[in-house]
Amino acid sequence: MTWLTWRQFRVQAFTAAAALAAFAVLLAATGPHLASLYAASGIRGCQPASCGQLASNFLQQLYAAGTYWVLYLLGIVIILLAAAVIGLFWGAPLIARELETGTSALAWNQSITRTRWLAVKLTLTGLAAMAVTEGLSLMQAWWAAPIGRAVGYGAGGTNLAMGRFSSLVFATHGITPLGYAAFAFTLGVTAGVLIRRTVPAMAVTLAIFAVIQIAMPLWIRPHLFPAHHSVIPVTSLESISLQQGGLNGSRFNLGAENLPGQPGAWLLSSGAVNAAGQATSTSPAACTTQSMRNTSAFMDCLASHGIREAVSYQPASRYWSFQWTETAIYLALALALTGSCFWRLTRRRT
Amino acid sequence: MTAVIETGGLGKRYRRLWALADCTLSVPAGHVVGLVGPNGAGKTTLLGLATGMLAPTAGTIEVLGGRPGAGPAQLARVGYLAQDAPVYAGLPVAAHLKLGAHLNPGWDAALARARIKRLGLDPGQKAGKLSGGQRAQLALTLAVAKRPELLILDEPVASLDPLARREFLQYLMESVGDQGLSVVLSSHLVADLERVCDYLIVLVGSRVQVAGPVEELLATHHLLSGPRRDPGSLPDGMRVISASHTDVQSTLLVRTSGPVLDPAWMVSEVGLEDLVLAYMSQAAGRGRRSHLEVQR
Repeated sequence: MTWLTWRQFRVQAFTAAAALAAFAVLLAATGPHLASLYAASGIRGCQPASCGQLASNFLQQLYAAGTYWVLYLLGIVIILLAAAVIGLFWGAPLIARELETGTSALAWNQSITRTRWLAVKLTLTGLAAMAVTEGLSLMQAWWAAPIGRAVGYGAGGTNLAMGRFSSLVFATHGITPLGYAAFAFTLGVTAGVLIRRTVPAMAVTLAIFAVIQIAMPLWIRPHLFPAHHSVIPVTSLESISLQQGGLNGSRFNLGAENLPGQPGAWLLSSGAVNAAGQATSTSPAACTTQSMRNTSAFMDCLASHGIREAVSYQPASRYWSFQWTETAIYLALALALTGSCFWRLTRRRT
Repeated sequence: MTAVIETGGLGKRYRRLWALADCTLSVPAGHVVGLVGPNGAGKTTLLGLATGMLAPTAGTIEVLGGRPGAGPAQLARVGYLAQDAPVYAGLPVAAHLKLGAHLNPGWDAALARARIKRLGLDPGQKAGKLSGGQRAQLALTLAVAKRPELLILDEPVASLDPLARREFLQYLMESVGDQGLSVVLSSHLVADLERVCDYLIVLVGSRVQVAGPVEELLATHHLLSGPRRDPGSLPDGMRVISASHTDVQSTLLVRTSGPVLDPAWMVSEVGLEDLVLAYMSQAAGRGRRSHLEVQR
């Protein structure tokens, strides 16, 4: 059965290998220069006081160069798409095409049980799916390591400065790509087994996978572990964004970007609270005078009126707990889907 | 001789419709069995149950003494050629033989190679590019070279042109002779089966109408013609399968184990095709009768 699986799969396997190789060449051609830029930036061995600034300079330099910013995003998009493409083009047709063309009747009447037939097909193709996606992810992680380190030093100010918890980075690094690949693949297979036609199965796979990939970072991931809450003085915030109203306005809106003493933490929400601990967005009258020209004066004024910032966040130390938990969720879903395929094809014979 | 297919009260229901009902059969080994019936009679369902592709809703079925599709050993003993002879369109002929070799412990590689050569198939050709007849022959090669004890073919010649049809059946009969195979093949045309089958099962309206060796069926069915009379007045042991009447004459197709003694009847032999058609129209009439009564 291994032979037949390989024989049916080899064109896709060669395609995937070629895609991996092309990706590797692209990264290998640009990675060393990126690393040399990092080495020249002086971040390595920097004094703690200057690290943040050096890191920001480095990212700004990359951003201005254009190429690296495009490559960085391209890599992320390729990894994100890889799982979906695998689900669509490897998963959905795997069984559906056999049912559709009737070749399942040929396969099931060789001297091999349906269970074994399905097990071999799922195992080989599924492992290949996981290997390809994780392979892309590891290559990207190697290439983008200088960017990751710079972001780790608290660099900000450009679109490259995505922390490890940002949706795009979290989903394409670490071990989560393994989970996504396994889930997308088994989702495609299951859709094919249930619908028994390739194209509708592909459509359903894409729809469900897209919904889940959107729902996960928005509504599920932030709540995998109970968030930490703290209330901090507005003046201690290293970076804060003032939205609408702002200086001299009667309304203000504070959003923290970094948390003092918690580098790399995942900020879930932040907002100003008054001395009584209630959320507020009305500027005290004293703070709207002409003398409040600059941000720090405005902040000092807010602070003197007892206004503080309430934040909820996930500490950076939880990164791998999040990675493992999310991967485990996707792998569990993949296992459940696999089980339903076996149940459907062996117990309820058709 | 043991039975190749033994069923008791076998039934298969799809949602609310019974595709096969109350089927009790015992097909002895060593025959080429024709399963004949109109489209939608339940032939594919019965064969699907015999290969384990389907699970029964009611009753029991044993094939070569085992549960159909129960494990690799059982699967190895039964060859199956599904309707329309599916093959992997993207794989060449040679890959199909390799597939058979990898998936069947009893694979007869020499037989398979010789047969592909004799058919003049190019091993490098994609199976999807073969003609319907060649595809059926390739699928048959796969089913035969795994050296089964029972070969089941579902409408194997339905989509073939007359020449391909004859070649297919010819090769099938050669394999039967060489290997001592038992064969069950279905068709909605008696003419396809007449030349190759020595055992017949007539399946109409999801029920088995008659089953038995062809010789025995021909010996026990007679066509009677004589002055018009009520079919009810016939002696016991004589069963009317079909009857047609004119004002003065009755023509009956009857089944009887003994000789027809009444001198009023002119007795003639029945051909296989007429016999099968009589059972088909009888079953069809039974289905229609209630409908007619309502109209009256």
